[in-house]
Amino acid sequence: MTTTGTASLDRYRKRWSWEKATFGTHCLNCLATCPYRVFSADGKVLFEEPAAVFGQVEDGVPDMNPMSCQKGSAWSVQLTAPDRLLHPLRRVGERGSGEWEEISWDEALGEAADAIVEAIDFEGPESVVFEETVEGGLLTQAPYLRFAGLIGAVTLDANGLINDFPAGHHITFGKFSCASSVDDTFHTELVLIWHSNPSYTSIPYAHYITEARYHGSRVVCIAPDYSPSSLMADTYVPIKASTDAAFALSMCQVILDEGLANTDFLRSQTDFPLLVIESTRRFLRASDVVSGGKEDQFYWWDEAASTLAEAPRGTLDPEDVRPAMSGKFSATLVDGTTVDVVPVAELLRERLQEYTPERASEICGVNPEVIRELAREASRKRTKILEGFNTPKYYHGDLMERAMCLFLAVTGNWGRPGTGIQGLALAGLDGYMLFGMKQKRGVAETIRVMEGVEGAIAALGNQDPEASDEMVGYELLQRGVVSGTASPPAFFHFYHCGYKDTWNRAEWSDPTMKRSFEDYVNDAVRRGWWGGLVKPGPSTDPQVLFIVATNPIRRQRGGSDTLLQNLWPKLEKVIVVDTRMSATALQADIVLPAAMQYERINLQYAITHSFRVGFSDEAVKPQGEARTEWQIFRALSEKVQERAAEQGVNEYLDGRRQPRRLDNLASAFTLNGAYESEEAVVDEWLRDSIEAGTLPEDGTLQSLREKGTTRFSGLGMFAPGLSLAANVEPNKTVTAFQWHVEDFVPYPTLTHRAQFLIDHPWFQEADEDLPRHKDTPKMGGDYPLLLTSGHSRWTVHAVSMGNPTLSGTHRGEPLAILSAEDARSRGIADGDLIEVRNDRGSYAIRAKVAPRVRPGQVIVYNGWEPHMFSEWKGPNEVEPGMVKWLHLVSRYGHLRYLPFGWQPVPADRAVFVEVAKL
Amino acid sequence: MGTITASKRQLAWVFDLNKCIGCQTCSVACKMLWTQDEGTEHQWWMTVNTQPGQGTPKGWETMGGGYKDGKQTPGKLPTPEEFGGGWDYNYQEVLRGGKGRDVHLEKTAGSKTWGMNWDEDEGAGEFPNSYYFYLPRLCNHCTQPGCVEACPNDALYKDPENGLVLRNEDLCKGAQMCARACPYKKIYFNPARKVSQQCIGCFPRIEQGVAPACVRQCPGRAAWIGFLDDAHGPVAKLVNQWKVALPLHPEFETKPNVYYIPPLSPAPLNADGSWNENGDRIPASYLESLFGQPVHGAVDTLKTEMAKRRSGQPSELMDLLVMYKWEEALGHLRRDPAEIVWS
Repeated sequence: MTTTGTASLDRYRKRWSWEKATFGTHCLNCLATCPYRVFSADGKVLFEEPAAVFGQVEDGVPDMNPMSCQKGSAWSVQLTAPDRLLHPLRRVGERGSGEWEEISWDEALGEAADAIVEAIDFEGPESVVFEETVEGGLLTQAPYLRFAGLIGAVTLDANGLINDFPAGHHITFGKFSCASSVDDTFHTELVLIWHSNPSYTSIPYAHYITEARYHGSRVVCIAPDYSPSSLMADTYVPIKASTDAAFALSMCQVILDEGLANTDFLRSQTDFPLLVIESTRRFLRASDVVSGGKEDQFYWWDEAASTLAEAPRGTLDPEDVRPAMSGKFSATLVDGTTVDVVPVAELLRERLQEYTPERASEICGVNPEVIRELAREASRKRTKILEGFNTPKYYHGDLMERAMCLFLAVTGNWGRPGTGIQGLALAGLDGYMLFGMKQKRGVAETIRVMEGVEGAIAALGNQDPEASDEMVGYELLQRGVVSGTASPPAFFHFYHCGYKDTWNRAEWSDPTMKRSFEDYVNDAVRRGWWGGLVKPGPSTDPQVLFIVATNPIRRQRGGSDTLLQNLWPKLEKVIVVDTRMSATALQADIVLPAAMQYERINLQYAITHSFRVGFSDEAVKPQGEARTEWQIFRALSEKVQERAAEQGVNEYLDGRRQPRRLDNLASAFTLNGAYESEEAVVDEWLRDSIEAGTLPEDGTLQSLREKGTTRFSGLGMFAPGLSLAANVEPNKTVTAFQWHVEDFVPYPTLTHRAQFLIDHPWFQEADEDLPRHKDTPKMGGDYPLLLTSGHSRWTVHAVSMGNPTLSGTHRGEPLAILSAEDARSRGIADGDLIEVRNDRGSYAIRAKVAPRVRPGQVIVYNGWEPHMFSEWKGPNEVEPGMVKWLHLVSRYGHLRYLPFGWQPVPADRAVFVEVAKL
Repeated sequence: MGTITASKRQLAWVFDLNKCIGCQTCSVACKMLWTQDEGTEHQWWMTVNTQPGQGTPKGWETMGGGYKDGKQTPGKLPTPEEFGGGWDYNYQEVLRGGKGRDVHLEKTAGSKTWGMNWDEDEGAGEFPNSYYFYLPRLCNHCTQPGCVEACPNDALYKDPENGLVLRNEDLCKGAQMCARACPYKKIYFNPARKVSQQCIGCFPRIEQGVAPACVRQCPGRAAWIGFLDDAHGPVAKLVNQWKVALPLHPEFETKPNVYYIPPLSPAPLNADGSWNENGDRIPASYLESLFGQPVHGAVDTLKTEMAKRRSGQPSELMDLLVMYKWEEALGHLRRDPAEIVWS
């Protein structure tokens, strides 16, 4: 015990003491579930630190502790940061003037309610538009979703807004990611850090990379710049930005060419053996072969019997059949004609000839021998791609993802420990899924609803006995979508926000497009591919924009002014619910202050990373007049009901011409008082998740308050959880896609297999029916520098930009990072103010010069608010936000809208710019 | 002038520079606990810098201090500008001032033009063979602490039980001779209280059996704490048995008690883009300038043991560095702080 200088030391001892320690987490879109301990006294949070309560799961695999990052460890600073919102505000001056008056909650909610009632009366409920969020946790999201559902409003699909959707994974697997729990990386023998920067964006679990390396695995970082994550690698592959498809396909070429492919894996798991009519490049379907045959029955060639045979739909197990993987065969069609058919493998082999290492090297700049060595190594080793969410933000990101998936396929690298592709996968928290279906609280009601769901699943299953539970689950979701509020935002942006002209610009688009973007939209809509989902429709003017815990004015690709100039003038009211004065709050009419994590309870989204519940408790009461979203929307429901009665708008028809009522809105929101508080809601979610088997017995609210977390015990009954297709065992890391590989459960795709051929006419027209490389279009114009960007180390999006402690850990102001060569040739020195410009726009920013940056590349990490720049012109000024037209395809097997899934998303990475000293 | 009284035991830190990802969680963890008051805004007792670089305070490695052949050498007092940081912004004006786009968020006039991590991720070399790595730094709690000897007021001392260098702030008169003498420039001045301050080794936590915040919060699991004489602990094993953990700038002669496992970094590339597996991306001479001659042996040992493990053989060193159970990092200081109930 230290004794000297006691009085002086007591100052520090006193500082490190508290009254109360509660559990907290931050429910941010980093998607981590780090359990923290929040230390408080006198109703104030003092500090926090990781709770480190994640026990070791698998023997011989390091535990996940402590699970932390600098943002989490400085969160409490934000409770009282200068951008914190403490009182309801009403705009006084012009929109965006920053002139406010504090008003009472009653007044603020009254004004919001009036606007909603008028919008419903004037334009219908679909003129009330919510932007969905993934920032803030389930209890931030659930209240506005519930409210929007009750009044028949529109909610813009979050994944179409934030573009975290890896379309190429969906094209291949019928779902988004083959992502295991993060500790599974320890089983990997070859770790490929590819298109990601985990030392910035996966801070809590990046240790699995360095630890896998010490454990004997080899780590390779594939990136245009010598990125901060390259430091963890044994080898660095300096790839030209956005040429990753060529690189991946070249490795595939080597593997097939050298006979290194995992043929059994390809036979059972992929569409490699399925037969294609050579002249049309269309799959041979039963409808081609027999009268009345199915559209989704496919064929392979049974080598032993030397005959055409139906590829089984209900299993991936070829059993005794050895389907041909090469050769040309003959098939007789229903009309008696004979056609040549070849397995998909043949087409792929032909396609891959365009990507020999020498030819690919000309595109991607990687040495051909490096391509060969890596390909050979991956064919021998359990290989995992740590991919993150960068590829979805590239115009041809889908092609990169399809090529990466093909690379994993030919090396047999998914479905086993240490393999797969690490983006995002969901875990099951079934109580959350059941919430909206229940008519009262309690387990009896849960059982009734679950029986109903099981009945619906059984009925759907009977229609196609060969469909897996997962496929039936998607079918069920699909039916719910039509009656729900969700809408893919691309259509909203196209019809209402002024994107039509941008997206029609041929010079910023793929030059192989045969028609204008608008033609494709019209065609897709005319064919009914997006029927019931284009909301609000072209003739419905949006009236009220409601934004909860998200920040479109910062995020919106295509420049914040696009929304301000095209959408804002149509809006009667812009209402923002947030904890901080964001760029979007600055443009609002009414700003409602929300309680922050530590001031309320919350649950993080259920995902596979930690495979544990992220729980955050209330340590202190909210600052100022801040309220939780549940309180806000509950009060708003009462207010809308009251104002509707005054204005006589008690009944109306929603967008589907179904009757709606406002005179019971308040009781409908709380389910007749059953959900007065969010505590009741969380309690219900957790109990129901236990009942549904996705949480163990210690998953109750009381237990989480005592222990901080628990590990999921099952994937549940709904498709989002089942999509993981993993065995959940208490003492094993979670391995995605195990069911497909070990148990031969089919994939939820058109062909029931991991699918590399998409024989849709639009994909054929684009020459993208098979994976390939395409150059990034000249988005922004023909300029010499490529702006790549990515997420920063310092903040999750803009959430921590106003945290004074964190601002001190970097330069505390926006930065464009240039290579030494490009800075030199333009006479730019570190710290200079420069202009970044292209044909879309320009902005001013400080230069940082770093030798790690590739010449020709510029990096501006994401997260800066527009109002941190002169004239509030920030990085999205130069991002046109182009949308790839092929993603308008729908009603082709698995290519159809699902919430958080298949839909058109805008690109923002890899735009062309020039920079100059100001 | 103060005198150094040797402590009975010595606590030491080990940082693995192959596991450090430069995230600053340690820096923030420390700041949240100890430097939140007026006068401490610019103080970061724990920092992480990108090497090579000027670090914090700017250019600290060439500011002098420490000893030469056993004699104290003069050192420079870093200026507030060299420490930098502590900046404020015009939040009120932009968010609530009613001025619209005429104003934007920026640091208030006269803000310092350096900060604790200003040269983050810059490094040196030429693409694609650029090189850099992260160096976390705190007070080295030296065995021969120049600060203790330099203090005219006898305010600094080594804790006899654990060897932490602590300050009796009641005796400190803010003379800042300690800050001149410290060759690592890890001593700050508090203008509000007119005292010098530096890392306290989280002694209030250590007294309670809880590891220092920088170690306990490290998400990269790159840090260990423990007594150097605990031969079975990872710290002593890494420092004394395997000799892969080395003090920074041993030529300063203060005998630091913070040790570093040197960075390996990826193999460099030949001009044609092929791998040069036998080359060094980080020049060996640069590592030697930081950690002295022994760094070559440490790097060799790391490479040998990694190769062993890759060929399927066991390696105790690799197991230590993997850290299968996080508690291993905490040595004897494994108590969960939330268990503490203050009366």
